Amino acid sequence: MSSRKKALLKVIILGDSGVGKTSLMNQFVNKKFSNQYKATIGADFLTKEVIVDDRIVTMQIWDTAGQERFQSLGVAFYRGADCCVLVFDVTAPNTFKSLESWRDEFLIQASPRDPDNFPFVILGNKIDLDNRAVSAKRAQQWCQSKNDIPYFETSAKEAVNVELAFQTIARNALAQETEAELYNEFPDQIKLNANDNGRNRDGDNCAC
Amino acid sequence: MSCVSELSQSNEYLSFRSSIPLRKIVVDSDGSKAWRIFDSGPKSVSCPLICLPPVSGTADVFFQQVLGLAARGVRVIAAEPPPYWNMKEWCDGFKRLIDYLELDKVHVFGASLGGFIAQKFAEVTSNCPRVASLVLCNTFTDTSVFEYHDSAALFWLLPSLVLKRMLMGNFTTDKLDKRMAEAIDFMVERLESLNQSELASRLTLNCTPCYIKPQALLHLPITVMDVWDECALSSRVREDLYKSYPHAKLAHLKSGGNFPYLSRSDEVNLHLLIHLRQFDGTDLSASYISLHKMPAPTNQPEEGTVSYFNQREKVVKIS
Repeated sequence: MSSRKKALLKVIILGDSGVGKTSLMNQFVNKKFSNQYKATIGADFLTKEVIVDDRIVTMQIWDTAGQERFQSLGVAFYRGADCCVLVFDVTAPNTFKSLESWRDEFLIQASPRDPDNFPFVILGNKIDLDNRAVSAKRAQQWCQSKNDIPYFETSAKEAVNVELAFQTIARNALAQETEAELYNEFPDQIKLNANDNGRNRDGDNCAC
Repeated sequence: MSCVSELSQSNEYLSFRSSIPLRKIVVDSDGSKAWRIFDSGPKSVSCPLICLPPVSGTADVFFQQVLGLAARGVRVIAAEPPPYWNMKEWCDGFKRLIDYLELDKVHVFGASLGGFIAQKFAEVTSNCPRVASLVLCNTFTDTSVFEYHDSAALFWLLPSLVLKRMLMGNFTTDKLDKRMAEAIDFMVERLESLNQSELASRLTLNCTPCYIKPQALLHLPITVMDVWDECALSSRVREDLYKSYPHAKLAHLKSGGNFPYLSRSDEVNLHLLIHLRQFDGTDLSASYISLHKMPAPTNQPEEGTVSYFNQREKVVKIS
């Protein structure tokens, strides 16, 4: 039951306004969908525990307002992100075209150490609608050209592929977190010793 | 003692101390007991956010919340109690303080002991509510999680050096980044500034057998904030808190140590804003303007974030 093994994953959902970011999050976390559109203001988050490969993982999923650009969100918002989910609406080609700039902007603002391998997941949402305008092939091609980003076609309304997509998101984020921890181990501990010698001398004899 | 830590020399701290006066407010018949508060933001707001420190903290440990949230129009009061030796005294004193400040209800952000007492205060005032909402940071619902249960009755006669040593043992953690180390240095300075009765009374409150009855708080909006790296509280204690408040919003921080309001102030402030935002436009709003817009980025340089980002070179195969 040691929670040292528990992981906390920070996932950020981005995309143009109205593509269904909030709906996807709500479908995944609360299993609910509402047809009513209410623009998200600022940013908000939900947490959900999932099990990935026998590990309990807590996902902290951040939803953003599509109108907001990063500049207005502040550093704290995307700090420590483990995965970025880019959403577009398969019935609205312009939301697909924006993916590129959302991705670029995320990489600039969050500046992950290894941008080429930072886990992204693309979701083409609203496949329940008839007036589809972006073909699966076109989306897949784009994803392949971006270092093979996983692509899912979802419907937040009918709960199609939502669970599967978030499972993948969790798994990829976890993979990256584990890697990061391995690398982190060393430098941090060296730093600690350097910093802590002085302090330990007067406060080392209690553990409560 | 003189304050030489990085944080107490920082521009933020100096500007905080030079712009917001430290007020001492006596609310007890014993005139020597005074609450120390920093009250910032518009006085027209009658439902402010009150920050209560942990055992080793003084009111100014929340200077980054005061500064950060004041910029968003939030009235923040960082409050430090005089020595109270039991929970009832403490709650009575706090009630008199908010009466004195002419506040009807308050939001409370409590850290460790401050969070425990905040819950207790909300519980004892549940018939005539004075607490609008709670943000609980690295805190607990039962003092039995501490080892000193039996000796709590004797703290009053221990010299302050011994008490300080008891606390210092909790300060160091395994993994530190620069900001966490700075936060610890700052807290050590605050701890040094406390006198024997302040320390002994707080430790007594912290360790005297006492627990919260969460059912009295189920109607309150609550955010539970905690760090997931090493801190004085075990994971079991954190999980007990989640269970006590199944309706609470869980604001986990990946890291930050025991004092995230110092070491991860921007993230803590973001969570405080998200928490307070739900009261926009109501009588319980802690700000005179709408919080429904995220803060503009602060242009202060990012310090020490590098090592704590979990994003060192990684080679992730995306399948």
